[in-house]
Amino acid sequence: MPHYAIVIDLNRCIGCHGCEIACKNENGIALGEDWNKVIDRGPFGDYPDLEMYYLPVMCQQCQNSPCTNVCPTGASYRDENTNVVLVNKEICIGCKYCMMACPYGVRAWNEEERVVEKCTLCSHLTVTGELPMCVRTCSAGARFYGDIDDPESDAAQALAAADEDSIHTLRESGNSPATHYILSPSRAAWKEGV
Amino acid sequence: MEIQWSLVLFTVLSGMGAWLAACIGIEEFRGKQRKVALPGSILAVVLLAIGGIISVSHLAHPLRVVAALSHPAPGIFLEALLLGILAVVIIIYAVLVAREISPAVRKVLGILMVLLAIAFTFACGSSYMMASRPAWNTILLPLAYLGTACASGTALALAMAAIRKEEEAAIKRAALFTVVGGIVAIITTVAYGAVSGSFESEGTLLILGCVVCGGIVPTVCGALALKRPNDAQMLGVIALICGVIGAISLRALMWIMGTPLDDYFGVEI
Repeated sequence: MPHYAIVIDLNRCIGCHGCEIACKNENGIALGEDWNKVIDRGPFGDYPDLEMYYLPVMCQQCQNSPCTNVCPTGASYRDENTNVVLVNKEICIGCKYCMMACPYGVRAWNEEERVVEKCTLCSHLTVTGELPMCVRTCSAGARFYGDIDDPESDAAQALAAADEDSIHTLRESGNSPATHYILSPSRAAWKEGV
Repeated sequence: MEIQWSLVLFTVLSGMGAWLAACIGIEEFRGKQRKVALPGSILAVVLLAIGGIISVSHLAHPLRVVAALSHPAPGIFLEALLLGILAVVIIIYAVLVAREISPAVRKVLGILMVLLAIAFTFACGSSYMMASRPAWNTILLPLAYLGTACASGTALALAMAAIRKEEEAAIKRAALFTVVGGIVAIITTVAYGAVSGSFESEGTLLILGCVVCGGIVPTVCGALALKRPNDAQMLGVIALICGVIGAISLRALMWIMGTPLDDYFGVEI
């Protein structure tokens, strides 16, 4: 099965929050709710040896996804064709069990529809061969989308081009996030946790 | 993390009902009809039902709840399944008691009530065991759920035995159950509090509430009732009230301590 995910080159990310805005516009996300958020990491260290970076965070498309494992109705599920973790809002009962199970707190509560939502990797766009809106609009060219197991994909090629010690994932607890980050030690040291 | 009161009350009430049924199930082995058996069974089912209804109120779309039963998965499905089976077993038992028939079957149902009470109250806590919430991801959490439900349920059984004016030997046995329930609550809540770091956090008062109200007071009340069965009604009610407060405290503590591994969006659940 493919593992579609986004690879983000943090060496390039300028923290403009453009991906957040593009995501909100494309998916009609209400004020106060997020599917994608850019977090300031740092500054760390002592003056003048300071460093910081920007960390865009969204659903990490975990390969062992706790959200789909706990969902009592199957509303949180994996698409049988793409293997992408999605939410079927029609059968979501709003128990928020998946929000509890997410190790990163990156699921959103749609106050109007009273259901859980999250990043879909813009499945409505990728199904026709387009890129997720955050990838398409990233002004720094820092985001890459594709099957990380497919050497031909943009995401896999971005990872292949990076040094091994520059490739990171968010701290995990057995969930194996498919989303990867590239951050060179010369740019900043990777920091675990929030 | 925000306390989910509907889920707190669900497990407190249904857990208490389950352990009331367990006490009745154990007492069935006396082989004699007891005054508590029928009203206690009815009350147990009522508590399970009220707890179940309250839990559904937690859902944003309660009308879609049937979908939860169509997708077997650990957690909510298992809780609902065990609650339903336990309620059916108690109802069948109550019918047999009311008709004063089938003592052998009643004994089997009594054993089932005990086993299901253990399984159900454990399952209610085990639903929250998830690696994403470090303070929840310990087997001591479901054991503490079980322990506090045991203390409040046995205290309710003591209060009922005294109110229904059971014979002294029966009241003393109910008092002994309350002592055991209280000790189980003390051990499990102290263990969970220590492992989850609750004693050194904003949850300190709540964990102390769990241990003192949920465990120590029922234990002391049960021990006093053993010595003074005539005061069992007052002692049972005190043990019951404190047992319920302790059970609520544990569950409220769990929600307060339940922060994600890394909370990037900071969304309140």
